Amino acid sequence: MATERQERTMQEVNDSGLVGDRPAGLKFVHVEADQAVAYITRLRDVQGYTHLVFFTAIDYIEDSLFRLTYMVHNYDSRQDMGVQVDIPRQGASMESIHHLWPHAATYQRELKEMFGIDFPGSPGVDDSFILEGWTGISPMRREFDTRQYSEQTYFPRPGRVTHDTAAYMKENLYPSEAETW
Amino acid sequence: MVEMAKYDPRDKFPPVDAGSGKSVYNLHSGKYMKVWQGPQHPGITGNMSLELTVCGDEIIDCKTHVGYLHRGFEKLMERRRYIQCFPLVCRICVPEPDFNEYLFAEGVEELAGIEVPEKARWYRALTLEMARLASFMMWIGGQAAAFGMGTIGQWTVTMRDYVLDLFEELSGGRIYHMYIIPGGVRADLPIGFALRVEQTLEQIGKVLDDVELALMHNAVFKKRALGLGVITPSMVDEYGITGPNARGSGIRRDIRKDNPYLVYDQLEFSIVTETGGDAYARTWVRLRETRQSIDLIRQMLEKMPTSGPFFQKLPNVLHWKIPAGQTYRKAECTRGEYGFFMVSDGTELPRRIYVRGPSYTHAVTLMEKLAVNVNIADTAGLMVSLHTYPPEIER
Amino acid sequence: MSLKDIIAPFSVWKRVFEKPYTNKKPIDTRPGAPRYRGFHVNDLDTCIGCGTCEEICQNAAIDMVPVRETRHGDSGLRPKMDYGRCCWCALCVDICPSGSLGMSNEYLWVDEDPEVFRFIPGQDGKPWNDSELGYRRAEGYDLLEGSRVPMPMLSVQESQKSFVEMVQGYSKEQAKAEADRCIACGICVATCPAHMRVPEYIKAIRDDDMGEGLKIVYQANPLPASCGRVCSHACEYVCAMKHKGEAISIRWLKRYIVDQIYLGDYANILHECEPDNGKKVAIIGSGPGGLSAAYYLRLLGYAVTIYDANEKAGGMLRYGIPEYRLPYDQVEKDIEFIASLGVEFRQNVRIGIDVDFLEVYDNNDAVFFSTGLSNPFGLDIAGEDLPGVVSGLDLLADVTNGKTPDIGSSVVVVGGGNVAMDAARTSRRYGADVTILYRRRETDMPADSEEIHEARGEGCEIVVQAIPLRIEKGTETRLMLYWGKAEMVSDGPGKRPRPVLIEGSEEVIACDTVIPAIGQAADLTFLPQDIASGLVGKRGYVEVDEFHRTPVAKIYAGGDIANPKRDAISAIANGHSAAKGIDIYLGNFQN
Repeated sequence: MATERQERTMQEVNDSGLVGDRPAGLKFVHVEADQAVAYITRLRDVQGYTHLVFFTAIDYIEDSLFRLTYMVHNYDSRQDMGVQVDIPRQGASMESIHHLWPHAATYQRELKEMFGIDFPGSPGVDDSFILEGWTGISPMRREFDTRQYSEQTYFPRPGRVTHDTAAYMKENLYPSEAETW
Repeated sequence: MVEMAKYDPRDKFPPVDAGSGKSVYNLHSGKYMKVWQGPQHPGITGNMSLELTVCGDEIIDCKTHVGYLHRGFEKLMERRRYIQCFPLVCRICVPEPDFNEYLFAEGVEELAGIEVPEKARWYRALTLEMARLASFMMWIGGQAAAFGMGTIGQWTVTMRDYVLDLFEELSGGRIYHMYIIPGGVRADLPIGFALRVEQTLEQIGKVLDDVELALMHNAVFKKRALGLGVITPSMVDEYGITGPNARGSGIRRDIRKDNPYLVYDQLEFSIVTETGGDAYARTWVRLRETRQSIDLIRQMLEKMPTSGPFFQKLPNVLHWKIPAGQTYRKAECTRGEYGFFMVSDGTELPRRIYVRGPSYTHAVTLMEKLAVNVNIADTAGLMVSLHTYPPEIER
Repeated sequence: MSLKDIIAPFSVWKRVFEKPYTNKKPIDTRPGAPRYRGFHVNDLDTCIGCGTCEEICQNAAIDMVPVRETRHGDSGLRPKMDYGRCCWCALCVDICPSGSLGMSNEYLWVDEDPEVFRFIPGQDGKPWNDSELGYRRAEGYDLLEGSRVPMPMLSVQESQKSFVEMVQGYSKEQAKAEADRCIACGICVATCPAHMRVPEYIKAIRDDDMGEGLKIVYQANPLPASCGRVCSHACEYVCAMKHKGEAISIRWLKRYIVDQIYLGDYANILHECEPDNGKKVAIIGSGPGGLSAAYYLRLLGYAVTIYDANEKAGGMLRYGIPEYRLPYDQVEKDIEFIASLGVEFRQNVRIGIDVDFLEVYDNNDAVFFSTGLSNPFGLDIAGEDLPGVVSGLDLLADVTNGKTPDIGSSVVVVGGGNVAMDAARTSRRYGADVTILYRRRETDMPADSEEIHEARGEGCEIVVQAIPLRIEKGTETRLMLYWGKAEMVSDGPGKRPRPVLIEGSEEVIACDTVIPAIGQAADLTFLPQDIASGLVGKRGYVEVDEFHRTPVAKIYAGGDIANPKRDAISAIANGHSAAKGIDIYLGNFQN
């Protein structure tokens, strides 16, 4: 069931009268998780979308879902089609498509490592892809706060101190209690 | 006379599993050895490593390891305003940083509804073609050097340096130009720029003639590159191969023609293809495309408008909220299809920016397939002929 | 494999005798391109320390550190670069509103000490400081908008026909576009006498959150409908965007917020008063100073009574500023909200005549007075008492009370301040021909430049360096005003030149009315003599400390009588300080 926010996003995408170089053939469709692989197989085999451009995920933490995006391309009609599938964030998992395109295994490997989305059966899905020896949470998830991590792990360069303009001017020009509203 | 059975060294090679195409072998049998090529290796473009399982000096299995250049761009961009993402994106790809800048700018403009002036579109196309030129120059050097012909590398890298000089004059930076910004470009062409570009193009043209003579009509190169890393036409869509890698196998596809962007629909050029599908064919494709770039730059300098604005004013970039939406922009870089998938959610920060690099498929799945039964010495040549570049794999 | 394939590679030998491409000594002989983004340069005098470079730097490579003295319009901070983090993208140069930050084309810097790479460009003597070449923001490319959104206004021809408000106000789109220009540096906050949190309420306009905006405005200023129209906007004179083009229209954006909300909805948005604390405060004068003190004291739970001699509240806002600048219903809007909180207004009550001061003094725990300057200065020339000579304030008060002034068909206004301009333009609206005489030069005129500009546009003739000599009865007109030309004599360096009458020069203007508007003095006759003498300090101002306490116990003062700025917003700020002071004095203040 699409939430109100998802509806809004899809509606905005469909309605937006965008000015400028809009690529002529770009469409996004929203598909249910259990039908996605069948849909994509049909796109590839029947409708000519033979090229898997990329496969990634968007984290909508406020709505508790990952939006997987498969982008396929049809070289005859020169259309790009973005197939979007929402899956829950907890225990995220999706059917693998490595049988459709061998290189999908690489994308799935990265998604497992970066987002924590499992693709059971995908070759090498548990191998580390980009990170080495990382034991924390999947870093592309939005609950991973990079700033907090870097403050905990590294120390800032000593001697750096900055001043906020308005606060500094207040200290120097009107420090008295009388004017502190 | 006893008939001796013909000795075929391949008898000791492990069988290949028909399903996965991978060799089935027992590492502990003592027949095989693991060799690491990379990450610091002259035969590797960028920083990547190949874990090779070899039998004698032929590879029976290859595993690509990436991640040495992971800087976390996508996560970084989720914390920065759109204008602050602008200096970041060019660093994702070193040989052709302008493609990143261009695709990011186009994505933002589309989501925000900004139209770029005509002159700026020509300048962007000019910058992109110059970037392609510089990238090809570096690649030719790499391809020749991978087979031991270092001299050619020295010529072409010098020519690339002259192109970088042009960029320095135009944008203020040699490698990371930060010239194409959402809204247009950051400055007009300096006075006399067209003349200096033409001088450099002439020099490059002459060097290319020498390169063609010394490289393509070269017995050593032909012996090693012909038949190396053959990509059959059926593999192209299966493995997601784009760019010169596909065109070397006779597939006529070029984003500049099929999904034209900027001003490519106003320029005359044809798609360059070869039929061999091997490293030699791909080298021919790229050499011809380099000449094509030179020709395109000349056409652009002739046809571009000489007056008009080059920048469309943006809303205050310090607190610029871009309406929710998503888009995918792509361009033809020297390596193949380069794309930016951008998702905005109505706030000042981007929701998701995903960078689709062509080497993602070429360097991992394709390389692992093509490396089988290749001599260790030829691995470098094979890898360079696929023109892979690791930063766009791990961003 | 043909013969060509074996021989062709030898063609590389042709380069054996070619000159190498590399420079032998690149370090000395290869300067960066003219636009090269090299090391930073900064003109420390032009830089205003707004911190926008720090804001945009995505590497957090810039710190703002104290370098110069803090002044109005200049925070005294200057950017310090950390070259360990800088990526030389030059966005800081592009966005600098004053244009002081730039980049040289220098790119070589070698040092053993890593700390030197954190430096303040322009301060430490670096070899590239004077470099002409290097990256500067290109013409035709700008990340900030220098031009203001024009405010829809009646033309001067249209406006002078009536007292309809001349400035028509921004629409939502215009307000958002103008609010978008703000870079939120915060330099304006220190200059505003009331220290209104300007960047925050401008952000509320961008976010279209009028409730939040109103709350922020009321925190420092309870008369925004009035100030949004007539404030002297000192903030706009120091706005960082002024260096780029035009300052943000801070005053009109404030007006926009207030205009969007009905008076009836204020109570839902703004703070409620604290419960009554049993203490009483009397306020004398319902001008901006008194109204502001009343509002803040009432919020703190005091029982407040305002005594005012005029028929209606508002002081100079109502009686001194004409309707085409500040419509009466807007003054009413501000006052009614204050009244709705439970402040008691006793209008038409003159202290010292209708009510004894000491009675008020004894019955209240504290007294605050901001009675303003109501005694106009006389011209001190013969004929001043002839009929037809009416002071500027009297004229404006009459018009406010609904009386058509008897000014005839030609008027001479003497003076160069806002009262003079108001009197002149009001006279125009009653159909008179107006001449304005001022004894110094136009640049010395204390009135707002917009006022002078609009007065001239409406047809008032301005004569400068004119000293009135005497007034006599006229023949065809009611009066004849004799005046002499003045020359400006230097009074020494740093002082403004003095006008000196040129002997023998005499001109005459025939007019029906002469309106002197050369300033006013305070009227403290409502106070008992012994108290009054203890109050007035040097130069005629009432002496007050930072909390606006006078030397006399229980008495606080503020507004035009106590501060040299003499505008509405200063009075409002004084009222707020006094309210705080009273609260501390009466022991209610919890730290």
